[in-house]
Amino acid sequence: MADVTSVDDALASFREMMATDGYLLTWAEAGSDKVVVKIAATDGACEDCLVPLPIMTNIMAKALGPTAYELDHVELPPGATH
Amino acid sequence: MTILEALLDPTGATGGENDSTLSPRPVTLAGLTVGLLDNTKPNSTLLLDEIAADLRRDYGIGEIKHYVKDYFGTPIKDELFQQIVSEVDIVITAVGDCGSCSAATVADGILFERAGIPTVSITSDSFAMSGQAMADVQGFPGFQFVMVEHPVASLDAEHIRGRADQAVPEALRILGVTEVA
Repeated sequence: MADVTSVDDALASFREMMATDGYLLTWAEAGSDKVVVKIAATDGACEDCLVPLPIMTNIMAKALGPTAYELDHVELPPGATH
Repeated sequence: MTILEALLDPTGATGGENDSTLSPRPVTLAGLTVGLLDNTKPNSTLLLDEIAADLRRDYGIGEIKHYVKDYFGTPIKDELFQQIVSEVDIVITAVGDCGSCSAATVADGILFERAGIPTVSITSDSFAMSGQAMADVQGFPGFQFVMVEHPVASLDAEHIRGRADQAVPEALRILGVTEVA
């Protein structure tokens, strides 16, 4: 089972950044050593402001580096174009 | 009839751009033509104008040319990019105060640096991570950009003046400017 605290801590800065644009970041385990990061839009989300997927992946893969887990993939909000 | 429209890569990468060397720095700004690239985010124009006014008053910059991107969330289109490269000596571009626009602002800066134009990209500090990640993806992890305090878009003119005060010293450092006019 993933060390919830370490993953939460690792993603905390990015969660805060996403919230500034109106997005909610959560994550879930994907196997024993990987996590899926999920991005959901809140009512106030700025659709055009969403961080491009390659950039998001780069940030989160790096953020998870100090933990025992790797990024499996990122799930964007339905209808996200990038 | 099928209409085909080019899809823009949000990272701006087109392959083969691995140069992470800064363009030659100007040392002095006296007489140089400065391009202000506005990404259409609120207060970008005002912030750029305030910075340019400081640089004219204290560092003697020459002509100031204004340019506007058609969309803040992706890197600059090639036609405008080529125009700017042919018309200015340095570029200042703003403002990255969201996830996509901070990444695009940094991508634009890297494009200009690789074309030999010293460039200052300005983001807000809340989106430093996005800008840095773009620099990493572009193969230019050491690209430096100015981070002013977030927010920018919602500020009045007086507070934008304060953001300009934050930006100018960092812009000068990034440009390698050491001489006051």
